Amino acid sequence: MPINPMFNPTVFASETIYTLVILIFCMLVYFKTKEIYDLSKHKGIQFFRYAFLFFGLAYASRIILYVMIFSESISFEPIRRGKTIFMQLLPVSNLVVAYLSTLAILYLIYSTIWKKMDIEHFLIVSNIVALFVAVVAFVSRSPSIISIIQLVLLVVLIIFSTKKKEKDKKKTHARALYILIAIFWLLNLLVLNPVRRLPLQVLLFFQIASIGVFVAIYYKVHKWVK
Amino acid sequence: MGKMNKKRERLEVIYDFLKIIQDNHNSIKPTPLLRKSNLSSQSFSEYFEELLSKELIKEMKNGKGRKYITLTDKGFRYLEKYKYILGFIDEFEL
Repeated sequence: MPINPMFNPTVFASETIYTLVILIFCMLVYFKTKEIYDLSKHKGIQFFRYAFLFFGLAYASRIILYVMIFSESISFEPIRRGKTIFMQLLPVSNLVVAYLSTLAILYLIYSTIWKKMDIEHFLIVSNIVALFVAVVAFVSRSPSIISIIQLVLLVVLIIFSTKKKEKDKKKTHARALYILIAIFWLLNLLVLNPVRRLPLQVLLFFQIASIGVFVAIYYKVHKWVK
Repeated sequence: MGKMNKKRERLEVIYDFLKIIQDNHNSIKPTPLLRKSNLSSQSFSEYFEELLSKELIKEMKNGKGRKYITLTDKGFRYLEKYKYILGFIDEFEL
């Protein structure tokens, strides 16, 4: 199979493994917390679970987007023939990634501030915001636009979250981990831009660090939910 | 069993509610439960309905046709997991 030099099979393999690992940890967090949510019906736990469910789905849809973008640089005939369909589906895939990841970020932040800022019908509000970001991503056809909008959203939410933070609560580094998850996600979107390709070593370091954050979250979950 | 007061969090009220039932050999009539829970009648009814709908407790009738309340398996699980639920909420600042 002739491969265009732009397509790096090692990068593709690392991206696939990375996505799978993140997806597995997200689903583990989601399913492991099912019982304590069923018992307590606690709103914070509910949104925490949703955040990881949607992060998992966002990572899964991101790898599809990745394949679509980089299929352009593959000379393999069957893929090249399917390229037209891929390129037509690209905006749709962009829309899905934007929608799922925006919801994930909103749910993660809201899970920590819902007590201080209980928004009625938050599910509807968050879906409207996510839909707006998704439509912008669909029209623009660029994953970078998603990361810029989400970055703005994230900064606003962090400022708000810091203001609303209860001073007497013990520090657990959970918020720092949440912010890292969101930042790694945004970097993941930037990496999708073929113009801004990272060297393999940098990419691997970044992926390992990102997995480390998810492992840390899972470890904390496992400590309480055995 | 600590006295119930209005400032307690919802999860703690539920815990105390279920604990009263458990401490009474898993069988208590509604009136003593209301008294021991130290909740207003309205709050008591709300919690009672909520716990019934969540299947943490169930209403039974004895041989004389009198109502009494018992914990379900889910209710026992709640008591068992309560500390972990609180720990989890604190750990993740939820």
